This record gives sequence, C-alpha cells and structure tokens, in this order.
Amino acid sequence: MAEVHVIGQIRGATGFSESSLFCKWGVHTGAAWKLLSGVREGQTQVDTPQIGDMAYWSHPIDLHFATKGLQGWPRLHLQVWSQDSFGRCQLAGYGFCHVPSSPGTHQLDCPTWRPLGSWREQLARAFVGGGPQLLHGDTVYSGADRYRLHTVAGGTVHLELGLLLRHFDRYGVEC
Amino acid sequence: MNPKEEKVKIITEEFVENYDDSEVRRPKTSKAQKHKRKKQVQKASPEDMVSEKSPSDSLQEPSQDDPNGSLLNVTARRSQRSLPPTPSASRTGFAEFSMRERLREKLQAARSKAESALLQEIPTPRPRHLRSPREKESETELGTEPRAEVERTQQEDDSQSNSRVKVRRSARKIKSKTQVPPGYPSAEEAYNFFTFTFDPEPEDLEKKPKSKPRERRNQMEEEEEEEEEEEEGQHPMQTRANKAVTVDEEDVLGRPEEDFLLDLGPTEEDFVAVRPAEYQSVHTRLQVEDKLLFAPSKHSVPMYKKLPENVQPRFLEDEGLYIGARPEVPRTSQNIMENRLLVQEPVQKWFGDDGRILALPNPIKPFPSRPPVPAQSQDVKRELETLYKKAVKYIHSTTQHMIGSGDSPVNFQLDVDISGLIFTHHPCFSREHVLAAKLAQLYDQYLARRQRNKAKFLTDKLQALRNALQMGLNPANPHKSPNLTPKAISEYKSEIWQTRKLRDAEQEKDRTLLKTLIKVWKEMKSLREFQRFTNTPLKLVLRKEKVDQKADEEAQEAEIQAELSELLEEHLMEYEEQLEVYKAAQQRWKAWRKARRAKKKKKKKKKPAEEEQPQEEEEEEEEEEEQGEEEPVKPVPPQPTNRAALEQQVRERAAQGRRRPGEPVLVPELSLAGSVTPTDQCPRVEVLRREDVKRRSVHVKVLFNHKEVSRTDSRPLGTDFRVHFGQIFNLQIFNWPESLTLQVYETVGHSGTSLLAEVFLPIPETTAVTGRAVLEEVEFSSNQHVTLDHEGVGSGVPFSFEADGSNQLILMTSGKVANSVSWAVGENGIPLIPPLSQQNIGLRSALKRADAISSIGTSGLTDMKKLAKWAAESKLDPNDPNNGPLMQLISVATSGESYVPDFFRLEQLQQEFNFVSDEELNRSKRFRLLRLRSQEVPEFRNYKQVPLYDREILEKVFQDYEKRLRERNVIEAKDHIDTHRATVAKYLQQVRESVINRFLIARHHFLPADLIAEEEVPNISILGLSLFKLAEQKRPLRPRRKGRKKVTAQNLSDGDIKLLVNIIRAYDIPMRKPVASKFQQQSRPSRTFIEKHPASPATQSPAHSTDYPLDQVRVRPFVEVSFQRTVCHTTTAEGPNPSWNEELELPFRAPSGDYSTTSLQSVRDDVFINIFDEVLSDVLEDERDRGSGLHTRIERHWLGCVKIPFSTIYFQARIDGTFKIDIPPVLLGYSKERGFDSVRSLSEGSYLTLFITMEPQLVPGEPVREKFDSQEDEKLLHATEKFQAECSLKFPHRQCLTTAINISGKTVFITRYLKPLNPPQEFLDAYPNNPQATAELVAHYVSLIPFLPDSVSFAGICDLWSTSDQFLDLLAGDEEEHAVLLCNYFLFLGKKAWLVMGSAIPEGPTAYVLTREQSHYLIWNPCSGHVYRQFDTFCPLKSVGCLIGPDNVWFNIQRYDSPLRINFDVTKPKLWKSFFSRSLPYPGLSSIQPEELRYQHTDKAAASELQDRIEKILKEKIMDWRPRNLTRWNRYCTSTLRHFLPQLERSQGGDVDEDHQAELLRQLGDYRFSGFPLHMPYSEIKPLVEAVHSTGVHSIDIPNVEFALAVYVHPYPRNVLSVWIYVASLIRNR
Repeated sequence: MAEVHVIGQIRGATGFSESSLFCKWGVHTGAAWKLLSGVREGQTQVDTPQIGDMAYWSHPIDLHFATKGLQGWPRLHLQVWSQDSFGRCQLAGYGFCHVPSSPGTHQLDCPTWRPLGSWREQLARAFVGGGPQLLHGDTVYSGADRYRLHTVAGGTVHLELGLLLRHFDRYGVEC
Repeated sequence: MNPKEEKVKIITEEFVENYDDSEVRRPKTSKAQKHKRKKQVQKASPEDMVSEKSPSDSLQEPSQDDPNGSLLNVTARRSQRSLPPTPSASRTGFAEFSMRERLREKLQAARSKAESALLQEIPTPRPRHLRSPREKESETELGTEPRAEVERTQQEDDSQSNSRVKVRRSARKIKSKTQVPPGYPSAEEAYNFFTFTFDPEPEDLEKKPKSKPRERRNQMEEEEEEEEEEEEGQHPMQTRANKAVTVDEEDVLGRPEEDFLLDLGPTEEDFVAVRPAEYQSVHTRLQVEDKLLFAPSKHSVPMYKKLPENVQPRFLEDEGLYIGARPEVPRTSQNIMENRLLVQEPVQKWFGDDGRILALPNPIKPFPSRPPVPAQSQDVKRELETLYKKAVKYIHSTTQHMIGSGDSPVNFQLDVDISGLIFTHHPCFSREHVLAAKLAQLYDQYLARRQRNKAKFLTDKLQALRNALQMGLNPANPHKSPNLTPKAISEYKSEIWQTRKLRDAEQEKDRTLLKTLIKVWKEMKSLREFQRFTNTPLKLVLRKEKVDQKADEEAQEAEIQAELSELLEEHLMEYEEQLEVYKAAQQRWKAWRKARRAKKKKKKKKKPAEEEQPQEEEEEEEEEEEQGEEEPVKPVPPQPTNRAALEQQVRERAAQGRRRPGEPVLVPELSLAGSVTPTDQCPRVEVLRREDVKRRSVHVKVLFNHKEVSRTDSRPLGTDFRVHFGQIFNLQIFNWPESLTLQVYETVGHSGTSLLAEVFLPIPETTAVTGRAVLEEVEFSSNQHVTLDHEGVGSGVPFSFEADGSNQLILMTSGKVANSVSWAVGENGIPLIPPLSQQNIGLRSALKRADAISSIGTSGLTDMKKLAKWAAESKLDPNDPNNGPLMQLISVATSGESYVPDFFRLEQLQQEFNFVSDEELNRSKRFRLLRLRSQEVPEFRNYKQVPLYDREILEKVFQDYEKRLRERNVIEAKDHIDTHRATVAKYLQQVRESVINRFLIARHHFLPADLIAEEEVPNISILGLSLFKLAEQKRPLRPRRKGRKKVTAQNLSDGDIKLLVNIIRAYDIPMRKPVASKFQQQSRPSRTFIEKHPASPATQSPAHSTDYPLDQVRVRPFVEVSFQRTVCHTTTAEGPNPSWNEELELPFRAPSGDYSTTSLQSVRDDVFINIFDEVLSDVLEDERDRGSGLHTRIERHWLGCVKIPFSTIYFQARIDGTFKIDIPPVLLGYSKERGFDSVRSLSEGSYLTLFITMEPQLVPGEPVREKFDSQEDEKLLHATEKFQAECSLKFPHRQCLTTAINISGKTVFITRYLKPLNPPQEFLDAYPNNPQATAELVAHYVSLIPFLPDSVSFAGICDLWSTSDQFLDLLAGDEEEHAVLLCNYFLFLGKKAWLVMGSAIPEGPTAYVLTREQSHYLIWNPCSGHVYRQFDTFCPLKSVGCLIGPDNVWFNIQRYDSPLRINFDVTKPKLWKSFFSRSLPYPGLSSIQPEELRYQHTDKAAASELQDRIEKILKEKIMDWRPRNLTRWNRYCTSTLRHFLPQLERSQGGDVDEDHQAELLRQLGDYRFSGFPLHMPYSEIKPLVEAVHSTGVHSIDIPNVEFALAVYVHPYPRNVLSVWIYVASLIRNR
C-alpha cells in the first residue's frame, strides 16, 4: 500500500565518443509493484551539443508506483543511441541503475557499456556504423552471468531523481 | 733449425715431466677435476649451444682459404676475448710485438716440422694409442689451472683445446712417434674409460642428459676432425703448417696469461694436450640409453595386463548402456600411454572395464571432475547473444503506431500435416475386413515387439547377470571383487530371478502373439473360401528359418540346466531357511513339551496319593490350562527339494513358452500381394457393400481453439478403407494455442455429412519444429450405431463370424489419423513459436515481457512423483547424458532427503515480505481511481484531483463505470425496442470502443509537428507581401474574413470555447393563414421534397386568396439556436424574408471536460437552429380592460429547423452559406407566400443564411497517418498513389479518392464497391411503368437508413467504408455508405450512375450520386433522398472532385468545380482525368459486394408495437417537460392525425391528401391549431425525443392548451423503419 513517486529527469550524457545522442529508457519493477500513473518507458530527443561535450536531454520522468513489498525496487535501464550524420542510429551504450530508495533529490550517474563484438564487427562499426546489440534487452537489468560478454565502456548518463515515499513507515520501513 | 729444435725438445720434455707429474697427481685430482668439469659443463652449456660450430670453423675454414687472414682473425679474436682483464697496456703491447717476431720464426719452424712430421706419419697411423694420455693431459691441465679455466668460456676452451691438441699432436709426431709410453692404457681401456667413467654416476647423467651428449658430441667432433686430418694429413702441407702457427700463436697468447696467473712458469706445451675427438658409436649409445632411459613400446598391450587377473573385458556398449564418444587419439599414442602406465603405475585404476584407458568422464558422478571447457561462441548463453545491427535510419513509421502494441505483430505458425486416415473399423467393413484389420493390428504389434525384442534383451541381461554372479562367486580370485558382498550376491540372485520371470513372460507373449496371428490368418482363409470372394489383398506368409537342431538343443539344454541349477539353489536356500525356522520351532516345541512334562511330573509328585477323581479333575484342569495357553504346534520338517520334479517343471515351462529345439523359427510376413475379387464376380450383398463404400467420402476439419480454421479436401473412401490426404495446413497464430482438434467427417453420397469422431491433437513441444517432427498416428473412435442392409458389418451392432451367431462381436467405428503438428521455421531459422516460450526481441517487448510468469509458462510438468515413477519404470540409462538432469531430479525426488516443493515460486520470500495482500492492494479506491484515470477510461479520463485518502473517495464514483462493465455484454432492449437494433448497437459500440482504444494509444505518439511550433523563416516573398500590405487600404470596401490563429486544444477548459452563430437572413418563410380561411380550400402545402417531378417543374400553387391585405404581417419569425441545451434566440423580425444579422454566442463544453482532439472529434451534439413564428394572441377576456394594459400572450410556432452537427463545424472550422430549412411537409395554419418572385417560385422551400464558427478556432484532428495493409495489387496501389499525387498537385482542394478502407481495416480499391445490387422487390413492383418513381422510392428507402457519421464512431480518424450488406446489417452509416448503396441500386435499375465525391453544405466533404437521364444529369443526396437537377441553384453540392464508376475513377480537371458550371461528360479526357486509361487498362477488379442482397420483411406487429411504445414514451416526455402545467391530450385529434400519417408516408411527405387535411381542419374547427409532422429514419428513441423537444411544442403554457401526438412507424424490408411523429397543440377558440 506504500506509494512511491519518482519525479525527475534524465539530464544528459557525457563521455560518449559520438555526438548526437539520444536515450531510450525504461523502468523495470518487481511483481509487487504497480504503476498507478505515468509512463514507464520512453525516448528522449536527439541532442547535438554545440558547446561542451555534454548532451542535454532534460527528459522528464514522472512515475507513481504503489507497492506491497520492497522486492523489485524500481530500476532504470537506459540505452544511449547516437545518430550519425546520415540520420542513422546506432547503439552507444547500455546502462542500468536502481532508483534510489531514500526520499529526496538524488543525482545519479549511470555508466554505460556496449558489446564489443568480434573484430569483424568492430571493423564494420568503425567504417559503416551499426554495431552489435544485445538480442535480449533484459540482460541489462537481469542477473544473468555476463562473463562471456565482452564490452566497451561508453559514457555516463546523468540523472536527477526526486523520490517521494508514502506510508512506508506504516509497514515498518524507515526512510 | 737449432733454436727450433731446441724449443720442440723443451716442449716435449716438459710434456713428459708434466705427464709424470700428472701421473702422480692423478688420483688426487681426478675427483676434483671431475667436479670441475661438471661445473664447466654446466656453465658452458648455454654458450656451447651457440658456438658449437665455431671452433671447427675457426680451425678449418681459414686453413683452407687463407692462412694469413685466418690468422689475423683468430688473433684478433683471441686478443679480444681471452685476455685477462688485469694485464696492463704495456704488456699487451709487448705481447703484440713479440707475437710478430715469433710469427715469422714459427712459420719457418712449422714448415720444417710439418715436413718431417708428414714423412713420419704416413706409415704409422695410430691415433687411438695416443688418445688417453692426451686426455689425461688435458685433464691435468684443467686441473692445474682452475681459475683460468673458470674465467674462460667454453668456446675458448674448446678451440683452445683443439688447437692445443693439434699442437701437441704435431709435437708428439715429431718427437715421440714410436714410443709407446709404459703404463698407458690400451685402446680398449681407453674406450672403456668413457663408458666406465660415466656409468657410476647415473643420476648425474640423468640430470644433465642434454649437456652430456653435447660434450660427447664435441668430443666426437674433435675425434672426427682428428681422423679427418690424419687421414688426409699428407696432402695439405699448408694445413699443418697453419695449425702449427696457430698453436704457436696460441702459446704466445696463452703463456703470459698463465704465467701471470699461476706463476708457474711452464711453457705452453705443458698445457696443451692433443687428444682425439671422442666418439661413441650410435649402437653403443643406444645401448647405453636403453639402460638409462625408458621408452615405452608402441605395441599394443595385451588385454590381460590391463585388467585384473581372470577378468574378462566387459563392453558396456554391447550391453546397451550409453557410452559417450571417446576423444580421437592415435592408436600408437594410446599404446605408448598404456605401456607407460603399466610400468610406472601398475595400479589398475587407469583402465576401464573394457580394458581401455578411461577417457570419458563418469556420467554418474554428480559433480563433473573436469571444469567446463569454455567452448566456442555457439555455447554463449542465449540472453547474452549479441546481434550486429546495421545503422538504420530512423523512420517515422506510421504503421507502427497503428497497432498500438509497440512490437510488430509476429505471426507464429503452426504446421498441421494431415497425411492420411486409416479406418481400423468402419460400418462398411465386411467380415473379411474385420479379420484383416485384426490381422494387420496383430502384425503391427508383432513388428513392434520384434523391434523392441525384449526377450532377447532380457536373455542377454540374464546372461550378464549370471556371469557377474559367477565372477563374484568365483573363489579363485576373491580379492578382485571385494565389493561383492553376500548382500550384493543375494541382490544379484533376486535380480536374476526377476529377469528370468520377465523373460519367460515375454517369450510366452511372443509365442502367443505368433499363434494368434496364425490363427486369425487361418480364420481369414476359411472365410475367404466360404464366401468365395476376396475383399482384401492381405496375405500372410510364414517364413521358416532353419536352425541347427543340435546347437539349438544344446543351447536349450544349457539354458534349462542353468535355470534348474538356479532354481535348485533357490529352493535349497529356501529349504535351509525353512529348516532353520523348523529347527527353531522344534526347539521351542521341545522346550515347551519339556516344561509341560516337568509340570506334570511335579504335579504327580505333589499329589501322588490323591484320589482318582480330583486327579482327573486336575488333569482336566491342566488340559484346560494347556488349551488356554497357546500350544505350539508340532512343526513339520520341510520337504527337501525334489530335483526331478523341479526339472519337470522347468521343462514344461520351456516347452510351453519357448520354441521347441530344432523347430524352425517362424517369421510372419504380411503382404498386400493378394488379389481382390472383381466386383462382378461377387454376390449381390457384397456388390452393394462395395457400392456403398464408393459413395462415401471423408474429410477432416482442423479446429484451432474450437474454431474451424481449415478442412481437407473430401476424399473418397478406398476399398482398403485408407484415405490419403497429404495436406499441410499452415496456421498463422498470434497466441499460444489452447487446443487443436481434428474432426473426421464422412459424407455418404449427396445426402449429408456426419461427424464421425473428434481427434484431439497435443500442442507440440517447442522443440518440435517442422522438418523434425515425426508423423504420428492418433487413434480415434466413434460411438455411432450404424446398421447396414448389405454385407457391411455396421458399427456398434453385434455380429458374428460363426454360422450359428454365437460369439458375437460389437465393433465401433475407429481408426487412426496420421498427422504431425509442428512449429514452422521462419526465414532466418527461428522457429515461429508464440512468446509463451520464446522471448521476443527488442526493448519494448522486453519491457513488456518483464513479467516473468508469462515468459516461463505454465505448461511445465510438475508432478514429481509421476515423473519419478515413470523414470523408474522406463529404466533410463543413467549413463546417458541426455538423461542427466532427469536422473538428478529423480535421485533428489526418490532420496527424500531434500524437500521438493510441488509448486514453483518465481520470487522466493516475496510473500513473506509483503506489506499487504493483493486483495487489499486492489481494494484501495485511491489506487483504483488513479489507475483508471491514467488508463484513460472514459469515465475517469479527466478526473482532476484524486483525494489523498481512501476514506475521502465515495463509493459511487465507480458506480457508472461498474455498471457499464456489467452491461457490456448484456443486450437490453429497453432503449432499442427491437432486438436486432440492440444487437447492432452493441456491435457498433464494441467496434467503437476497440477503435477508440487503438487510437488512444496512437494518440500518445507524436510527430515533430505536434510538438514544435516552428515559425517560418521570413523569406523574400513574405517580406514583399508585407511591404505590399503597407500600401493596402486601411478599411477596404469589401472586407474579408481574416484567418485566425489556431489553438491547440490542450490548455483549454470549460468556457474557453464559444460557438458563434451569425444569423443573417432567411427567405421564404411560410406564412400564417388567417383563421378565417379555415374552411376554405387550403392552398397546396409547401413541399419538402423539392422537385418531385423535375420533368414537370411548374408546380403551381393555387390562386392566392385575396382576403388578406398585402400589408398585413403574417409572420414574425425569429431564430432560436440550441446547442448542448443552451438556448439563444434572435430578435423577432417581420415578414417572410426577414433579415436579422445577429450574432449569437453559445458556450461549448466538451464531454467530461476533455478538450483533447480525440474527444472533440467525438462530440455528437448537434446545433439546432429552429425558426419560430412569434404569435401574439389576445388573452384579454374582458373587452373593457383593454384600455388599461397590454393583454397579449406570446406564442411561438415552430416552422422549421436546420440541424448542423458539431463535428461538421469542428472539421470545417466555419460554416458559411445558405441552407435549406427543414420544414415539415404539413404546417397546419401556415402556407408559403408565392407569386412575388417568379424566380424563386421554382424552388420550393425556405432558406436561411448562416455563418457559424468557433472561437477560438480549434485545430481539427489530423487524419490518420497510417497505411493500411491491403490485398490489392502492389502495382495498382502504386498507381493510386501516383494518381492522387498528380491530382492534388493540380487541384489541392478537390477531393480525389481512389481507395477506401473497409471495415476490417484493409485498403480496397474504390471501384470494387460499385456493383449493381437489387433493391427490395416491392419497390420494383410498386411502379412498374415509372422508373422515375421507382428511383425516388429507392432513394427514399436509402435515406431512411439512419445516418451515423464515421468521424464520430471512429473518432474522426479514419473513414471506414462498409459494403452494402454490412451497411444494411448495421443499419447505420455515413454519406459514403448511403451513396454506395443508392448508386448500386441505380445501377441495378439500369441507370448510368456515378458516385460523386465533392463537398456540400453543410456536410463538407461528402458523397452524392449522379445519374444520367436521357438529356440531363440528376444529383441525388443519398442521406435525405432529395434529388436536384444539375442546374439547381440551391443544390447543396457545391463542388465536384471526382466521379467514381464501377470500372473507373475520373478526376475533375476542369477549371470550375461547381456542378452548375461543369460538364459531366466523362468521356472527354480534357475535362476528366481517368484513372484507368490506355496505359493502365482496367484489370477487371472483382467487386467486394455480395452477389445479391437478401431482404426479409420486417415484422408488422413489431412495428406497431414499436409505434405504441414510441408514442407512450414521447407523451411521457412531453409531460415531463411541462412540470408546472397540466398536459391534456386530445384523443380525438390524435386519432385523426394517426389516420393522416400513413398517407404522408405513402406520398413520402409530398402529396398530402388535401381533402383529409381540410377535413381535419373542419373537425377541429373551434380550435386554434398548430402542428406538424416530423419524419425521421428510426435508429433509437433518443433522437426522436430530441427532435420533439427541439420543436418546443411543449413550451406552450396557455392554461387550456391540449396536445395531440400521433406516431406512425412504417416498416420497410430489412428492418428499415420510417417514423412519423405528428405533434400538435390545440387551443380552443371561444
């Protein structure tokens, strides 16, 4: 019966080698959670920074959850994509972070990675674009063993999330 | 010569001395020296490897080419490397100087020496002799100067020693050639020395196996060199000299050094020893090596070595156990390994039971001993797979938005292969068939059994068990099988016993089966003979396989003996056991007896002298006692086993169950080789039967989720009752199938089809993919009872083979369907299996499917116990890795140690940590409200503020919603009166809901244009225009309306939007007739259907009555606009052509405060513009009061109405024009003024000029941005796009339509809608001679079908066209459907008809119908049924975009588009651009319309019932609307009106029976009367009520008013109802 509001924004991203970035995001929760209102996934606009190297999206996130348990606390997963000069999109990084569990505003930095692929794919990526992507996007936030996955670091996505919790104290959860 | 000789002498002397010294020193030094040597070797070895060759190079090469050069070379090298670090520069300088001097001297000396040496050497080549001393010498030398040696490198050492050797040798050659020094070891000794010295220290050798041989090799090389030199010593004098020189030089160099270091002062000869290269022949070396090294043999090892003694190799594979694939290793490597293992570790653990090296992991081990090898990419986990995706341009695909669910709908495919059908019993089976089926079945069984060959398997097993037991019991090697405990033995025995029993049973079964088979065959043969014809080609052949009788007998005998012995053993054991028991019992019994005896004795002793009687009594007592306590029965000793009897038993059994020895093995073979007797040779009954069979055919229906999806062709039943279909059905599905059923149908002749049986197919596993699926036979049977009058045995009917009718059989129709069900494989090899088991790809779908239960599925088998039981029964091979997980599971399940829950929980401990239960969470009203609001459920879509606490939310908030949910599926006929309409309404409602839901989702997808308001960048043209504007007049004479800024409907709220209605003027308003004229013949009333007879245009009104002065105002009209129950009205004007020029402002409220585009689009409110006549009547009752006040009553009489739907205003943004006022056909008390204007007299009717708009202007909803899929030809679709693009380029505002979307959302080429369709027959019969009247009747009929704008029902997003039959079923549609139907009717009537797409007032873009009469064109409004001539000024059609015929589409490319000004001759290509032309001929598209329309007559009774109900409801409503006044109903008037209405219907509102009207007026003479009939198509009650309300009849509040209301419903075919409502108010005149 407790409620959680997640209100904030995806501010932007730094550290990507590509410019013209956009971000697809989604929130994944456990079975105990119910989304009362808001959209749990979305996509930002493409930002091409003119000054500096930070791409600003300032994409709002506004979710209202009801929960009957703490398991499956909401987690955010992100996909940063880049658009090249031909308007083609390619993956620049997968990222994942938990939504903070204490009330208040939080500045989050979510580092990202992307699959490296074989040397052929790397070569193709360097010259013709595209790149290996996960066949199953939920690998990003599921607990699968990823030790066979070779990845390259991407940049960092910056988020600013405000948390409002309600009625958690009623069930003995201090926050 | 002298000095030289001297020197040589000195050298030799020294040498000799040295030698002596060394001899003396030798024992001392030898050991130390050896150590040194070792050290040296150790040190040197690395460099040694590098410079192995260099010594010889430096010696030989230079010697051959250039002595000087080489000399210098060597010198240089020497000086560089061998000089000790300490000597000063002067010393070196001296050395160099002296070197040159000596060089010259020695060169000479060497020459002479060499000469002499050569002379001496030739005859006595004795190299060997000299070796050992030299060796020793060198050793001594090494020993004496260890420090120097240590500092030198091996290379130096080698080369030095080489050179030294040579020098010495040459020196010795000179001096001591012939001398054999006493005490020198002989050649043999020398040879032995090598081997000898090495032998005692084998461990050293082993430690340096590399360095030693190398040393040896060095020596060998030296030797070889030596020999070479010695052999060819004579020829190159030069060489020798060179050597000598080298030596000298060496000495020169060596000396100072040695002098310096050792301070010994000997000459270099002391240290130089000439020794032969050491050589060891290969053979000897190998011998040595053989002793030292161990080389395992390459030969294969005999089996007995590898296995424990007396153990036979056991091959598991032959026993049927699973053996994995051994890794590939060459045979020789294996042999080597085996040999090595046998020698080094003679433990047997390296070898398996089959005598080979263990190479495979033990599969039974629970944990693998080897870590998993990270395999190649194919082993990568599925969820970690990556896919290289090309960089793709992001396309704003519109189709994606359409479906709503983000992921593209993947079609999954299930392939159902129905290959055939075999009847195992069929009513048409003859007796022979029955037997044949039985035979075939038995044969199948036999084949199956033979394939499994269980008897053989069991026999083998028995054999293996016996062997094992034998081995275990063998006392010869008890230590080899220590694990064979007595317990194990007993287990073995019991196992043997069981196996034997099983084997016997199997063998017996085999035998009986064979017997039955033969028996059935015999029966069949006799039957064939008896009936003298053959029906089946079946033939059984018994093939005999000869067996060697003797071997067979022996084998059998052995078997029997083995069995016997086992049995004996068993019996023996049993016997022993029993004996044990017996003994124990005996003991007890004896003890008991003893005790009793003792007792007795005691008693006897106690009372010896007692009388008889008491004794007897006592005895009795005792006996009683004995009886009381249990008396052990005297045990019977067990019978020892009778061997003979046992043998007899065994033999009997063998005889029974087994083949007799020597008896040939019988192999039955069933063939279809027999011939069937031709029909003409059969008796009659059989002929009948065959004919019956021929008449029958069978087909199979495939039912998917209980719906028939396809069926096979109907195939005739063959004489063999087999049907081959061979059809594969590809079922495209979206969801996981629930059920899959086959239905077998049988058709007999033409009579009918009957369902034989249903076959339920299992849904295939996800692994069953097409190509891998196996054809399975599924049995079915039916319980139908069939009795036939011919030879066929029937089904469910008893019959018998016997003549006397005994032994009856009842067979049911049964059979087998051969089928296979599998999942199809997509193009890229992905099986097309629904996502229940397969996760979809992509972010969105992944998000959706994050709910894990859906991905895991519930189909998993979870009954652990059953599984374990099954596994135990099926005797899985535990070795097979395929069974690994299962075995593990079973071990867990059967061990009982770990608790296996019978449920599966995805998130453990979830339940325990929950705050609240699900129910409680769902009960929360707040959450529910929030969710519903965010789901945009209509009731809550714009719910603004949700209370913070549950208690603040009232329960009734949900009432409406819940009610709606409840009633969704309940069809209630209250509002709808007749059930058909109710169903249709429900259907429409559902379609609407689903469409709305689709678009609700689509609404959230925005285009950039939705979000960004981009100001246009000013360019030069805009600049120029604005400059031009400066010069414009400030106040133009003819001002034009400016475009306003459009407002997106997002931030609006109630009251922001206003509807502006500007009423300008009206024409031709009907005028009051004076009361006085009531008895006069009334003029012809005005007509609604203008131009009933266009051919005869002059419809004159009768002469005006001249009673009224022209100046008298006979009408005072005003306009009232009502919208959403808000009413505004204008001031009252006077006269029939009033001019108001007033602007009315009406507020607009969107439904539930939702001002979004979608919501606005679906506003269904209409703007009613009613025209009333204001009548002032005198209410003064007393004439005397007239002077003191005004006593009039204002009455208003409804004259007519214009109805404009809000959606039109919304989409058009403004409505501007002159509209025809909808005036009822009869307006009592009013007539039209005529004669003033001869022009206008042509047009019957009244008109109103209006301007309507919204403030602020709203942005109308975008049309659907989506492409529908289509079944049209790709080329055609392309052509339509091209055509439309061309047209819109030329005339962007003209409507051009080539495709339409049908009700299932598919694009259809538009001409497919047009096709001649029959109107109801009664219309054709009505006016057989007047086609025009028929056409009007048809148009009237079409106009009676209720109008329902698509934009409303489908949220304004797309315009769906339904076909005419759908339209008639739904009984609702918009202009297009009406127009299509009307056009089709006209085509049927033989007219040339087209669909006109254009825009009209007030509908906006619409569809009309154009017909061509003999000389002119007529334009039909399909929704109202009105017809206009082409040149009619008041034709509502204002522009024509395109014409659509049944075979072509023409686009208007004329300059004007008003129908008045265009030419409708479509044959002129300059005026009309046709779609199909010579370049693209008409392909002959088939119509999507039905062949013909079927009409059923509407129930008259239902219509009259409806009529009564409507009347009742309307009366109630009118009374409701007059809450403050009494409503009286004038029954008489009502009944008069009721009689009048059918006439109106008959004349379609036109020719009213004027007599009747006059009569009406006469009858109601003393009433002031105002009233009118309303005519509407019937859809629901609500619009009727609305229409009555809008007339305002009820608003008369004169106290003595009376009302009359009559309703008439006229039924037309197909439930089309025409409703007439006559409302009148009567005021009694006094």
